[in-house]
Amino acid sequence: MRRRIFQAFGFAVVMTALAAFLQSAASGQAPAPGGAAGTASTGNAKAGPAPRTPWGHPDLQGIWLDEFDTPFERPAQYADKEFFTEEERTARDEKATADAGRNERANRGSAQDVAGAYNAVFTSAKPTGRRTSLVVDPPNGRIPDRTSEAQERNRIDQEFRLALLQNTPTCKNQAPGCRGGKYGPPSPQLKEQSPFYNTQRMNRHNGPEDQSMGDRCMLGTTPDFNGFRRIVQGPNVIAIGIDTGQGQGYQRVVYLSGSHPPKNVHLRHGDSRGRFEGETLVVETTNFSPKFTYRGAGENLTLLERFTRLDARTIEYSATMTDATLWTAPWTVKQELTMQSDEQNRIYYEPRCHEGNYGLPSLLVGARLDDKAFREGKGPNPASQDTATCVNELPAEREN
Amino acid sequence: MAGMIRGSTVVAALVAAALGAGATVLTMRGGKQAAGPTGARTSDGRPDFSGVWQAMNEAHWDLQAHEARPAVVTQQGVYEYEYARVPAAPVLALGAAGGVPGSLGVVQGDGQIPYKAEALAVKQENAANWIDRDPELKCYLPGIPRAMYMPYPFAIVQGTDKIQMTFAFSNAARVIHMNKVEGPPDDTYMGHSVGRWDGDTLVVDVTNFNGKNWFDRAGNYNSDALHLVERFTAISADAIRYDVTIEDPKVFSRPWTISMPLYRRLEPNATVLDYNCIEFAEEFMYGNLRKEQLVKHWEGETMIVDITRKIPPGDKLHEWYRR
Repeated sequence: MRRRIFQAFGFAVVMTALAAFLQSAASGQAPAPGGAAGTASTGNAKAGPAPRTPWGHPDLQGIWLDEFDTPFERPAQYADKEFFTEEERTARDEKATADAGRNERANRGSAQDVAGAYNAVFTSAKPTGRRTSLVVDPPNGRIPDRTSEAQERNRIDQEFRLALLQNTPTCKNQAPGCRGGKYGPPSPQLKEQSPFYNTQRMNRHNGPEDQSMGDRCMLGTTPDFNGFRRIVQGPNVIAIGIDTGQGQGYQRVVYLSGSHPPKNVHLRHGDSRGRFEGETLVVETTNFSPKFTYRGAGENLTLLERFTRLDARTIEYSATMTDATLWTAPWTVKQELTMQSDEQNRIYYEPRCHEGNYGLPSLLVGARLDDKAFREGKGPNPASQDTATCVNELPAEREN
Repeated sequence: MAGMIRGSTVVAALVAAALGAGATVLTMRGGKQAAGPTGARTSDGRPDFSGVWQAMNEAHWDLQAHEARPAVVTQQGVYEYEYARVPAAPVLALGAAGGVPGSLGVVQGDGQIPYKAEALAVKQENAANWIDRDPELKCYLPGIPRAMYMPYPFAIVQGTDKIQMTFAFSNAARVIHMNKVEGPPDDTYMGHSVGRWDGDTLVVDVTNFNGKNWFDRAGNYNSDALHLVERFTAISADAIRYDVTIEDPKVFSRPWTISMPLYRRLEPNATVLDYNCIEFAEEFMYGNLRKEQLVKHWEGETMIVDITRKIPPGDKLHEWYRR
């Protein structure tokens, strides 16, 4: 939740709020576990058989959504347990519904309060699913360890981010945002380039590249496990439109022929080539970009996705991520996608975060004004202010 | 026109704009043809438009007939004549690659766009302030019909009750609904497209525009009252006749029509390679807000472009060719 609020801050408010509202509205229609809001489903417990296209392929067309909330990785307490009991699901749903944290406010009018303004109204809560994790392989439901090379990169990156925070109250008060860091004078690293191409919010705003991909309206990455997707299917080519984030969706085209481009041609969402293996569409995607990464995986990532239409209202979807430079083993996510009403057409297929992005220039304008105020002795040193982790409430500023 | 050179701009964006044609389709030797079978029909007997397509004309510069000019932004040269203008700073360094090719135009009938008087003034203002006003330069969603004839390829995927078009430019897309769906809850850049078959012609009714689109780089524009009727008719297995009737009572005094062929990209392994330009436009849009600016001559939000062209030793006029 905290992360979602993060990403929300600074976006084009009107457009993104609309997108979020549409998502919550659409998912809000979803009946209790087992039901579906799709045209294919009339509310009967049993869905019809999986349809085929007139040309004989399994028919994957429609708007699809994972209607359930499932932990991405398996929480430690469930260890090797793959499925929740009904009681556990109910308990998790009750806890999520009652979660006051989403509406909790910091001191009224404080920076933290404003930064946390995206409350529960703007976010949706889905019912708990059957699985204890979306990760199904390795069997422990956890993403495999990172390679030592990747761990070292993470350490360097984290060290840089903490250095930018070290003169702020976040570190002074040892708030969660400074975990692993220490309080000290402004770091010389404030004047240095970030060690790797930056994709996350940092406590410096010298230009667009210091902002998160979300701030820059380039958040959507492949694979995506959260959003709505519309599949339009022809005999030789398949289009997948993904509605994710807040106006940060994107389009993919899966060719059922041809071959991947040369390795030097990088694409934000990779190059996807598909084939049917029995009842399953198998899509291999390569040629990802080093700039638009999924959990750090970019140009060395091979993504293998499988789409299987189980019945009239369900697709089983799995994605296997392989990147030997990043993870010590391949790993797989699996989810069930439920058909949504085509007629209601509640998918936001025109991502226009960029067109309404007042957030990014406003954020940079604000940073320049802070610089100016400091230069003129009218404001604090920007290095002493935390403008990156501002929803990490500082104990001193909490209400009560 | 002189006002154009004062606008904020970035050479890189203009290079991208000027050289965009053809740059995004990849050709690979030895690959199989990715496009649908030639002359194919769908299983229900309709023309099959699946494949990778692209317009091949100058409509993205200006829908109307126009002669070639030396640059997309020009300034007065030695003469005062309109036809003797010279390239202006933003594109000067591109030489002959920065020019605008001539065109016979795609507007049908008398070739005129029937602007209302006050709307014509807006169009002319748009043209004079092209760099600052054209949404294309900011990588905004291009709208319809503009997306159909930009110099980038697009894929058509023909499903059983939807036809999706996915465009290289800005990763934009449109879904043509061949079945009944609810309209969008808000007006849109790309419009709401509802299709039907009139014999072998795909007829698409497009509404729900937000009025923020342009038709071309010449400042032709529309309002939120825009209503399009598009007609897609196969000319051959590899060409589609694309006709659009444009109606917008807030801007035009009567409906008017454009017409052009769309061509199949016949390269083996023809692929729409995304032109994800949001990032490309960041310096253009936000460069003045950097702590340390990359372009040194910002005055407020106005970028002053100084062009430095250093000629390496041995590369002076003609020397390189004589080696």
